[in-house]
Order: sequence, then C-alpha cells, then structure tokens
Amino acid sequence: MTQTNDTGQDERLDRALQSLPRGVEPTRDLWPRIEARLERTAAEAPAQAPRRAWAWQAAAAVLLVAGTALLTATLVQRSRDASLAQSPPPAAVPGVRAMPAVFGPAHAPNPEYDAARQQLSAMLQQKMAQMPLSARQKLEANLAEMQRAAAEINAALDQQPGDPLLEELLLNTYHDELAMLAVVNQLTSTSDAGTPADATRMQL
Amino acid sequence: MKITTRPSTLAPLASIAAFVLLCAAPQAEAGTAINKRVAVLPGGSVEISNTAGQVTVTGWDRNEVEVTGTLGDGSERLEFATQDKVTRVRVVLPNKSWHVEDTDLVVKVPVGSGLSVSTISADIRARGVRGAQRLQSVSGDVNGEAGAEDVECQTISGDVAVAGSGLKGLLNITTVSGDAMITHVAGELNGNTVSGKFTITLGDTTRSRLRTTSGDVSMATQLAADGRLDIESISGGIRLDLTGPVNAAFDVSSFSGEIRNCFGPKPRRTDEYAPGKEWRFAEGQGAARVRIKSMNGDISVCRK
Repeated sequence: MTQTNDTGQDERLDRALQSLPRGVEPTRDLWPRIEARLERTAAEAPAQAPRRAWAWQAAAAVLLVAGTALLTATLVQRSRDASLAQSPPPAAVPGVRAMPAVFGPAHAPNPEYDAARQQLSAMLQQKMAQMPLSARQKLEANLAEMQRAAAEINAALDQQPGDPLLEELLLNTYHDELAMLAVVNQLTSTSDAGTPADATRMQL
Repeated sequence: MKITTRPSTLAPLASIAAFVLLCAAPQAEAGTAINKRVAVLPGGSVEISNTAGQVTVTGWDRNEVEVTGTLGDGSERLEFATQDKVTRVRVVLPNKSWHVEDTDLVVKVPVGSGLSVSTISADIRARGVRGAQRLQSVSGDVNGEAGAEDVECQTISGDVAVAGSGLKGLLNITTVSGDAMITHVAGELNGNTVSGKFTITLGDTTRSRLRTTSGDVSMATQLAADGRLDIESISGGIRLDLTGPVNAAFDVSSFSGEIRNCFGPKPRRTDEYAPGKEWRFAEGQGAARVRIKSMNGDISVCRK
C-alpha cells in the first residue's frame, strides 16, 4: 500500500511539474531598452576616457605655459630693469588687468598660473604707454574680449557643470590669454630694440 | 672693418675677425639717404628693427647685406653691425623718444640667411629669403613668404599675409586683432588670434592647429593621409572646405553653435536637455583626424 501510495504521489508531482511553464515571461519586453543602454555605454566609454585624459593633459599644459611665461617674464624684466629704473614710471593704463580665473562653479586655478598672469599683466601695463594708440586700444579691447569669453563659458558651466566641451574651451581660453600676454610682452620688448639700453636679442 | 656707402669688396673671411660697430662714428643724418653694405658669411642671420615706416627685405645670391632707404627725422642713427654670423640693422632713437618720422629700410640679404625683423608700426615685407624667419610688429602689417624653413609672424593689430611655395615647413602666426591671409602653404600651421579673421588656403596639411576667440576661420585644404587638423573657437565661425580625397575621422562639436556638413550623417544633440551638438563620422579609411570645437560659433564642413 505504502509503495502504491508513494507511486501515486510521484505521478501527481510529475504531472504538476509538467504543467508548470518552462519559463517566466516578463510583463513587457525589456530587451530593447537593455540593448540600447549597452550600446550607449559601449559607444561612450572610449570617448569619455580620452576626454578625461585630455583634461589632465590640458591642465598640465596650462601649468607648463604658466611656468614658461613666468620664466620669460622674469628674464625679460631683468633685461629691462636698468632702462626702466632710469625712466619715470609710465602712467597706469586702464584696461589691463588679470582675468579673474574661475574654472567652473567650484574650481580655482593654480596659484602659479595666477602669479604668472599677474606678472605678465603688470609688465604689459608698463609697456602699453609706449604703444601706438590704435594698437593699444585694440589690445585692450581684445584682452577684454578674452575675459568676456571666459565669463561666458563660466556662466554656461554654471548651467552645465562638468560639461567636457566647456571645460576644455575654458582651459584653452586661460591658456590662450596667458600665451597672448607673453607674446605681446615679447613683441613690445623686441620692438623697442632701437633704444640704446635695450639688450634683448631675438632668437631664430 | 668699416662700412662705406659704396659696395664693399671685403672678403667674407675678413668679417670673422671681431665685432664691428659699423656706424659708431659716422652717423647718418636724419632725413638723409642710407646706403650701406657689408660682406657676411654664408649661413648667417640678419636682425632688423625699426619703429615706424617700412622694412623691405629681399634675398639675393651674394654674401653681402645691403641697406638702403631713408632715415626718418627724429631718429638718432642707423646701427649697422656684424658679429660672427649675425648682422644687425636697427634704427636707434634718442633715449626715451618714440615719436619719429618714418624710416624706410630696403635690405638685401643672402638668400639662405635667417631673418628676424621687429617693428612697432612699420610694415614688413620679406621676399626670397629661404632661411628661418621671424617677422613681428606691434601695429604694422607683415607680408612674407614660407618655404621649407620655419616662419613665425606675430602682430598685435597688424595684418599678416604669407604666401607659400608648396614646400612643407612650419608656419606659426599669432595676432591679437590682425587678420591673416595664408595661401599655398604646406606642412604644419599653427595660428592663434583673438579677434582676427584667418583666411587660409593650404596645399597639403600634415598638422594644423588654429585657435580663435571671436575671429572667424575660413580654411580650404587637402588633408595628408595621416594629417591632423584641430580648430577651436569660442564665438568665431569656422568654415572648413576639404579638397581632394577625404579619408578622415571627424570629431566636431559645439555647445550652442550650429554644425553644418555637406556629407556624412547629420549632427546629433549631445544631450536631451542641453544645447550641445556633435558630429562624429569617418569618411573613407579615416586615417586623418579632424577635430573642431566651438562654444557658440557656427561650424561648416564641406567637401569640394
């Protein structure tokens, strides 16, 4: 009897198992969304890495330019000290001031970068009095243009924090401003080579 | 060794002896004609500086440097000196004096010389010089030629024009507000401006990097097989016309500017809720790389 009863239970269990569905169907088809997310991740991954790497490289480049510009400024300043010491201090030229550098809403630039820019701006302010009026006015307007551009990018970054394109453009704008200040300082240094006290030599 | 106002017959080796200040004693009178010549060693360089007026430099096939022209009123003297392989030509002003009449210098240099010209408001024109060149002016215009050697042009407000010979070299141009016109240059080009307009026709670009804040860039070029082109602007417009076969990967993006392209897929928005657009596309084998970025300047990429 017992054996018969056990056999009967097994047969019921077998039937019950066979009646169960082979798989559990989801209430809706999830695969299209999963596939779309996988594809997006795969497509974005290689793009994000270079962007991040680029940001570090750009930051390093800005620091390098800052250091180079500071060194250039120091060397040029030394060569000019003698002549400047003998001349009355030039009148202050409005419009040349360091750009208040802000890298997005929550970042600040490196102090060395600020120092280089402050020094280049101060040197340029001394030399601008000797420049032709039209060139001086254009230079002031264009330095203001670069400041306006940085402010515009910062404002956009305030709305889109972490936007890689905006961060890249802002870093490059700071870099370009520093490089431009260095070029203008160099231009005004070598261009007055006609003065007897000048010792600056142009390197080919 | 003394430079007279007549053509010199001095042997080149004689100029090695020592530093010669050619105009220390005999000064050119202001407003008077300049006519000086000195023998130089081949492979040397010439440095010229002037404040106002013009500087015209021409390469010739003699190992001599000749300076003619007129010294402007108010200038103290013209220094014309050579030391080793460097010849210097500079208009000397009275101490702390900057307001002088124009001085026009016409300088002939050995064709292979290196050349450095620096002015404040004087225009610069250089032709037929094959050595490395640095041409820079605060507000004067610069007009030069590019060959196989490096050429660097820098101005604040002066315009720049450089004509290439098709030879591959390195050309660096920096202006603050001056425009630049570059034609038939090949090789590597680096350009930076704040508000100047760059108009560029390149033969065969291997490396080009252009940066502008608000100035426009218009460039027509053929990309080398492994060429790299990088253009960036904040608010200036960028137009790129590619000639010849195009095998390049494009990475173009703008935060709020328009992107127009005459081939490939349409640009797409980078984010559903942000204004950015990007266009990433590979044409042909995609060996060359084109990268264009802007904040709100419009971008156009077409193929001619």
